[in-house]
Amino acid sequence: MAEAPLFKPKLKVGKPLFGILVFLMYVFLSAPLLIVFIVSFDSNQFLSFPPQGFTFKWYELLPKETTFMNGLRISLIVAPIVTLIVLLIGVPAALALDRFEFKAKGALQSFFLSPLLIPSIVLALGLVLLFSPLRLTNTYAGIVIGHVAITFPFVVRTTLMSLATSDTSCEAAARILGANSWTVFRRITLPIIQPGVIAGGVIAFIVSFDEAVISLFVAESGLPTLPVNVLRYVENQADAAVAALSVILILFSLVVVVIVERVMGLRKALR
Amino acid sequence: MNSTKLSIVDLTKRYAPGLEPAVDRLNMSVEEGHLVALLGPSGCGKTTTLRMVAGLMDPTSGSIVVDGKDITHTPVNKRGMGMVFQSYALFPHMDVAQNVAFGLQMRKVPAKEQAKRVAAALDMVQLGHLAKRKVRELSGGQQQRIALARALVVEPTLLLLDEPLSNLDAKLRETMRTEIRSIQQRTGATTLFVTHDQDEALDMADRIAVMNGGLIEQFGPPTEVYERPNTHFVANFIGQANFLTANVVSENGPATDGERYYKVDIEGLGTFGAVGHPGLTGTHELVIRPQRLQASLHAPLGANSITGTIERVSYTGDTLGFSVRAGERLLHAQLMTSSADMPRQGDTAHLSWEAADAYIIPKTPQGPAS
Repeated sequence: MAEAPLFKPKLKVGKPLFGILVFLMYVFLSAPLLIVFIVSFDSNQFLSFPPQGFTFKWYELLPKETTFMNGLRISLIVAPIVTLIVLLIGVPAALALDRFEFKAKGALQSFFLSPLLIPSIVLALGLVLLFSPLRLTNTYAGIVIGHVAITFPFVVRTTLMSLATSDTSCEAAARILGANSWTVFRRITLPIIQPGVIAGGVIAFIVSFDEAVISLFVAESGLPTLPVNVLRYVENQADAAVAALSVILILFSLVVVVIVERVMGLRKALR
Repeated sequence: MNSTKLSIVDLTKRYAPGLEPAVDRLNMSVEEGHLVALLGPSGCGKTTTLRMVAGLMDPTSGSIVVDGKDITHTPVNKRGMGMVFQSYALFPHMDVAQNVAFGLQMRKVPAKEQAKRVAAALDMVQLGHLAKRKVRELSGGQQQRIALARALVVEPTLLLLDEPLSNLDAKLRETMRTEIRSIQQRTGATTLFVTHDQDEALDMADRIAVMNGGLIEQFGPPTEVYERPNTHFVANFIGQANFLTANVVSENGPATDGERYYKVDIEGLGTFGAVGHPGLTGTHELVIRPQRLQASLHAPLGANSITGTIERVSYTGDTLGFSVRAGERLLHAQLMTSSADMPRQGDTAHLSWEAADAYIIPKTPQGPAS
């Protein structure tokens, strides 16, 4: 069953031009990554481009650099907790938005997605003003709350997308066959929306791991996360250790995304 | 003797206060082992009724009684029903056997017995060889059968079918009709079947409830609903019909099944024979099915005959339909095409009928007949 293509470009002349444009866009998107990759092997003492010699010393330096290691430790504590909490709140929220009809539905939906639209610096400032009297600055709780706020929209969105394509009569069928609400959720709903939930979780983890502004405002002095310490490090010494760290983080993210894609089909969930 | 399996008493569903009820004080009782079709156009309340029986929807008032027990407020998962959805609603993340076993797991049936019953259910729908298949690898007809097996394996108190055939192509629909009916009769499952397709209802059901505007217009066996429609709506919805407004002139003695022959006057055409309930007087609608009209091009065939001009001929292979204009009335007739006399447009035709085939609709017509 071959389906006829909906759109068939007829411009034969434009084709090579189009190819060049696409190529340039790829170069543009990947240039920073490539440069970081190259610089991380540069023997020059200071961050610079083009490179002057080849070395592994920045990679060897990483485990000894306590700023990075402390930051990494804090980030690796924060990100999983954020992921867990945001899934526990975000998935039920998406379910409620999808399944129930209530007055403030539209407003609530916009509100849930609003952290995506607010500049993080505004959010960060607000959080500091709120957290100071509550003594939440420089605590894990403070960072986690901030990160949950900014990752929440992602989880709600990906879950809503999975819900939109799922057949609600499956749940009705399960209930008629004798399943109670919890069983229906665990055995039917959750498996069906799993791609969206996983995608939301992965995005939440990466966003939390990567987040600098809120972490900087809320817990710079007490609990600096990895991005905060990277920022600090670059302020003081401009060497290529940061580039080496970046390469490792990029590879780490890539591995996570590839594994999830292979196992769950992340692309399908994000479509 | 058969006993009553399901009684629906004054069942009403109003989606919002002030709105017209979707189901309006509906009463119905279904005998054990029967297949009852809820037939009507979309929005007539048939699906709402089914969902209330299933427990997926709370009625505004009224009650649902199964086996003498009021289940109106029993939660859906405690009702022990089996339901087949229009979309089949198979669980996409489970294989065929897991789908069918789900209801048994919920009932905590031991694993060994589960396997046995799942295998039996799959054999019943002739899909035993597909037990390990993923649901999305199945064709529409196969999914439909799996859905049926999943509903029946739990030996449900009632089998509820919500337009189960409407997603299948025409050919498969007819095969599945026969198959569902034969499985239903073998298992003896009392069944409620929602459909908008009159052929399906006539073919499969023991009883048909013709619904319109949240009410049951008529509840009876297929032949009765077709031959003896209670209302204009029923006659019009099921099959094709000619409607003639007639004044009852006199009763002409007994007919079969307690009915009476009547002499009726049709304005501008004369007096004719018809049949109906005892005790009819005044103005009524007469319904005559197109295929019960006999046609002749030469001379009237009998007493009840109308002469007119053929306005349109439609040839569909098996039958030949034509419209005859008599005065301001247009009558539709149908013939088998083997008839030697092929009428053409503009010919004069005589249409006649047996008195027993012209049925007087007992309710007086409301407004002009269409």
